[in-house]
Amino acid sequence: MISAPDVVAFTKEDEYEEEPYNEPALPEEYSVPLFPFASQGANPWSKLSGAKFSRDFILISEFSEQVGPQPLLTIPNDTKVFGTFDLNYFSLRIMSVDYQASFVGHPPGSAYPKLNFVEDSKVVLGDSKEGAFAYVHHLTLYDLEARGFVRPFCMAYISADQHKIMQQFQELSSEFSKASECLKTGNRKAFAGELEKKLKDLDYTRTVLHTETEIQKKANDKGFYSSQAIEKANELASVEKSIIEHQDLLKQIRSYPHRKLKGSDLCPGEGLTQDQADRASTTSNPDESASTDLYTCRPTYTPKLIKAKSTKCFDKKLKTLEELCDTEYFTQTLAQLSHIEHMFRGDLCYLLTSQIDRALLKQQHITNFLFEDFVEVDDRMLEKQESIPTKPSQDRLPSRSLEECPIPKVLISVGSYKSSVESVLIKMEQELGDEEEVQVTELSSFDPQENLDYLDMDMKGSISSGESIEVLGTEKSAFVLPMSDSQASLTVPLSPQVVRSKAVSHRTISEDSIEVLSTCPSEALIPDDFKASYPSAINEESYADDNEEAIHFQASISPPELGEAEEGSLENTQSQVDSCCIGKESEGQLVSLPAPAHALSDEDRVVSIPPQRHRQKDQGFHGDFSVENPSSQDNNCEGFPAYEVDPSHMLANRDVSKTSLDNYSDTSHMSSVASTSSDRIPSTHPAGLSSERHKKRAGQNALKFIRQYPFAHPAIYSLLSGRTLVVLGEDEAIVRKLVTALSIFVPNYGCYAKPVKHWASSPLHIMDFQKWKLIGLQRVASPAGAGTLHTLSRYSRYTSILDLDNKTLRCPLYRGALVPRLADHRTQIKRGSTYYLHVQSVLAQLCSKAFLYTFCHHLHLPSHDKEAMQLLASRQASFLRLTLGLVNEDVRVVQYLAELLKLHYMQEAPGTSHPVLRCDYVPSFLYKI
Amino acid sequence: MSTLCPPPSPAVAKTEIALSGESPLLAATFAYWDNILGPRVRHIWAPKTEQVLLSDGEITFLANHTLNGEILRNAESGAIDVKFFVLSEKGVIIVSLIFDGNWNGDRSTYGLSIILPQTELSFYLPLHRVCVDRLTHIIRKGRIWMHKERQENVQKIVLEGTERMEDQGQSIIPMLTGEVIPVMELLSSMKSHSVPEEINIADTVLNDDDIGDSCHEGFLLNAISSHLQTCGCSVVVGSSAEKVNKIVRTLCLFLTPAERKCSRLCEAESSFKYESGLFVQGLLKDSTGSFVLPFRQVMYAPYPTTHIDVDVNTVKQMPPCHEHIYNQRRYMRSELTAFWRATSEEDMTQDTIIYTDESFTPDLNIFQDVLHRDTLVKAFLDQVFQLKPGLSLRSTFLAQFLLVLHRKALTLIKYIEDDTQKGKKPFKSLRNLKIDLDLTAEGDLNIIMALAEKIKPGLHSFIFGRPFYTSVQERDVLMTF
Repeated sequence: MISAPDVVAFTKEDEYEEEPYNEPALPEEYSVPLFPFASQGANPWSKLSGAKFSRDFILISEFSEQVGPQPLLTIPNDTKVFGTFDLNYFSLRIMSVDYQASFVGHPPGSAYPKLNFVEDSKVVLGDSKEGAFAYVHHLTLYDLEARGFVRPFCMAYISADQHKIMQQFQELSSEFSKASECLKTGNRKAFAGELEKKLKDLDYTRTVLHTETEIQKKANDKGFYSSQAIEKANELASVEKSIIEHQDLLKQIRSYPHRKLKGSDLCPGEGLTQDQADRASTTSNPDESASTDLYTCRPTYTPKLIKAKSTKCFDKKLKTLEELCDTEYFTQTLAQLSHIEHMFRGDLCYLLTSQIDRALLKQQHITNFLFEDFVEVDDRMLEKQESIPTKPSQDRLPSRSLEECPIPKVLISVGSYKSSVESVLIKMEQELGDEEEVQVTELSSFDPQENLDYLDMDMKGSISSGESIEVLGTEKSAFVLPMSDSQASLTVPLSPQVVRSKAVSHRTISEDSIEVLSTCPSEALIPDDFKASYPSAINEESYADDNEEAIHFQASISPPELGEAEEGSLENTQSQVDSCCIGKESEGQLVSLPAPAHALSDEDRVVSIPPQRHRQKDQGFHGDFSVENPSSQDNNCEGFPAYEVDPSHMLANRDVSKTSLDNYSDTSHMSSVASTSSDRIPSTHPAGLSSERHKKRAGQNALKFIRQYPFAHPAIYSLLSGRTLVVLGEDEAIVRKLVTALSIFVPNYGCYAKPVKHWASSPLHIMDFQKWKLIGLQRVASPAGAGTLHTLSRYSRYTSILDLDNKTLRCPLYRGALVPRLADHRTQIKRGSTYYLHVQSVLAQLCSKAFLYTFCHHLHLPSHDKEAMQLLASRQASFLRLTLGLVNEDVRVVQYLAELLKLHYMQEAPGTSHPVLRCDYVPSFLYKI
Repeated sequence: MSTLCPPPSPAVAKTEIALSGESPLLAATFAYWDNILGPRVRHIWAPKTEQVLLSDGEITFLANHTLNGEILRNAESGAIDVKFFVLSEKGVIIVSLIFDGNWNGDRSTYGLSIILPQTELSFYLPLHRVCVDRLTHIIRKGRIWMHKERQENVQKIVLEGTERMEDQGQSIIPMLTGEVIPVMELLSSMKSHSVPEEINIADTVLNDDDIGDSCHEGFLLNAISSHLQTCGCSVVVGSSAEKVNKIVRTLCLFLTPAERKCSRLCEAESSFKYESGLFVQGLLKDSTGSFVLPFRQVMYAPYPTTHIDVDVNTVKQMPPCHEHIYNQRRYMRSELTAFWRATSEEDMTQDTIIYTDESFTPDLNIFQDVLHRDTLVKAFLDQVFQLKPGLSLRSTFLAQFLLVLHRKALTLIKYIEDDTQKGKKPFKSLRNLKIDLDLTAEGDLNIIMALAEKIKPGLHSFIFGRPFYTSVQERDVLMTF
């Protein structure tokens, strides 16, 4: 507990609070509540309960010259949101004062009315009795028929939380300014159009009047003007004056001060307006400019006869907000307001934390890629978007905007949204099918990123990165080819590039493992500084040379042969090896496990897949690596963009590549860095995983998993330590659900990818284990596919296998303390979203440990002699154990993350880290419920 | 700024204040709603400067605007509402506190406002809460004084029948002056000595080659731990400005940029006054080697405070939030009650009240030793010095540490929210929370709770308040026997 109440400030407080009988007590209105947070059932969440509206909303109000302050529309346009809240009264309150009071009309000394471009005012006020507080953004629009040509409006963000308004003041102000600029730009455009029409009317009227006057003049033979003629002449003069006035107004509106455009946040339409303004300013004759202006693009206007002086009348209908503004801009303003409503919706504490989170993550670009939701990418994209002023139609628009627009009838030019449509279509084509595609076309003005986020919420399961990129045209053609699974993996012609021998760049030997970093098809090149930080890797190279061994990755046998050999031999060797290892393991770590060691079937064995001799596997290995385009194997689902070959990663010394796998002991630990042109990076759209609903769902399913499966710890350990986990099951939905849940524990390779394959129906390939760290695999129900598990077991060096149908897990033992903190089945956490937050905080702690281990200079000083190396190794071990407090297998988690950090850090282009194929020659265990 | 403002009528009383430094404040005003004439300005306070940035007419025009629309005021009884204006056309920002009160026999609406140039918006916003809290409290007192004065004056008028109504209530102005001037001084001092938004880690203790180079290891651990446990609110005192400022900057590393802008460095030559509501402030000891903290102001700070003495390496802290808020409210109520009962103007002088009321005997020993040890800060300090200084590694590691703290705080809020159905049910499973969120060390829980309190005010009172209040009540009952 937080400290006991042993210190109390005022021991005699009750004495002076006690009221003397002869004096009146302090009225409560002059006092302060004793329990500001805890009285009368109040609690930190009860602030909103006093308000008459259910959640925050935006109100647009106007000070009408006819009826005074009046509400116009709300966002969202749903009566349930503002409930019984009196919008009329609140409009009256927020619009009763003109904070922009400035002179409009005929200023002294000026012959013509002057337009004053007033700046917006921002006011925060509240109604404490109603529990409503508002940020009010006042703006002025122009209307030719309005008094003084101005119409005052305001946009108010109304919330029950006063602190939210003040704490988010700058953000609110900035966002509302964008909406206001958009509205005002559209209004200036509409106002100019209105003036043009009026000028045409006046011009036409002048012509008519002039003709009539001339006729009268000719008809007049008396030598003096009739009263009718004088009247006509006056009228004509009045029209002339009116024309000059309106021309002046048109000139003014077109020469809208540039400084204001430059100074303000660029709104969607500013680029357009700027052009117009420039054009207008360069054209000396207003009539001429009018003819060349974009405004004239509208349908031809037929002028009509008007009265020179329009009389102000109060029975006329004032223009609506939509009429005052160009339609396109108006729609965008509503979209922006909708975006604001989404942006600031919800509890302030989440808004604040996400802002703090974002700021802190910006300082951690080295580690962000591991577990964060691609924040860096998002930010970069946002910055990019902000820095490019675009036409309104191409501009960023919030998701879900149009469907919430109160005026859905407004049509948007589909053509103008081409770019965003295209990007969405690419995604949709693959993921949602035709039906959704159409739907997205309709929602065409969405920002692709946010749109995807939105779409993601509506889809069952989650989307892996690969899914979004595989539809790129160049790749698409490859996927269209119908190919059987086996063909996909085995019969693709080998490309000359791939036949080249693969390189073993580095290999490390530790007490019980050998690590090989290899590249395919071309040699890997590890930068020099990288070598320096991997003294063991340097040693490992010399080890390879000493043994004069090499890995031959080229396909020495044809793929079908290879396949057959692999399949046939596997059957024979499996039981031998298994039984061999049963004996071996039963002597060691498996004593406590109850399952009989003599069990033969996979299902019954509660022992590990042993460290296997690799002859058969190597064949598979060779064959797999020689596949030119492994993408073809995934003909049914995801595809991936090709890695670009990075010349800097090629090994200069090709001799190093000649190392044989045959020399590896059963306890070796191998990893392979792929940098081939045929490799494809798994890619989820950055926003894909970040949706709240996704997090909630993933968290909920993860929570279920750790509660239902007692072997959740080793499964999560597998993921955290970089060992691929295959989730095997018949039911796609169940498998997908679990894969999505477990994906929160999977470290990323780079900013663009989450190495998760949610569903694969074709047999897995060695490359898959290199690319994916979590795979959902279909268990084929046919007799031929009965051995899916059995087939998989040949990859047990690289994978852990979670059989959902039989509720078993085959993976190495875990005895650490880290995962129990992350996934305690007794946890009282109730909601998925809370559990997701918990996981995020524990993973952030883990990243911090990995960062420390990676960048602690004294742990990685280059050393060449054996003694120094041993000293270094013991120093590292001691650091991991004592300074970082890691026990047993936890060490491997941090080491793996540190390895990823190093790789990522060394990449010239961040985010293109290559996947690592790891195989642990450590015994696996079979866990059962 | 507008030049088309009407002249004030009648002439408004004005107090010019001489400040030692630059004043970001243009003026402060006190206005009221006259039932016949509408909004009227009663008094103007302005810094004494050579260049007049706002004429009295402009100030009056702006002040009147703050009360415009308040004829529709719909507030809870006793509410002091805050209005905030950014008037770009005039180039000013205005903060107004609107309240109802009894004056001259009528219930009316009043507004106390401060006016700043719009260019100071980002400077002012982090200090908004400090200014509003302080002005709110002086309004509470001023309102009582207005009420009492009315009663007295009514009696006087009845007896003497000579005094003009307009002269009444003037004495609220000196009372407001007593707080407006310190607010101006605070803003002026913040203009010159506020901690920058971005702190270079090289200027802090975290840049030392090894822990303990600048200050004792245990002291640093205690200071940072307690600083975090008291919501990032600390007072650093010492004889050397350099030493004090190094610790101030170090502690500010653990704050958000906005909170840093609400923190103040120590002045090299002479000491600033203690200012209630700042997050971290450095204060220089006087020639006798002491610094006296004003009890009342320390109590009125929104969060408990850590007291750090860099000369003797001591760290003391105030009780946690729920106790602090409880004590603060009791103190406030006592002060207002004493004010209500005061019989003469001398009694009302704010700083003497605690001495004049004999029953007013608060426990002045509010700073206690840091009792609860944590593992979070300890591990951080053990680890951060393993990284090479001079690079950005330590900054990154610090950012990671802060990220973990914030995420834990959010998780804790969410955990409690789920468990109590957003406060509908009492929270009973603190033990489970500690285990589930790995906060079994008391210090760790205190740190995370303190962070959570800042983003979810009232959390402490909700979790710990009930047993605490109950035990206080029990104790009070027992003491009566």
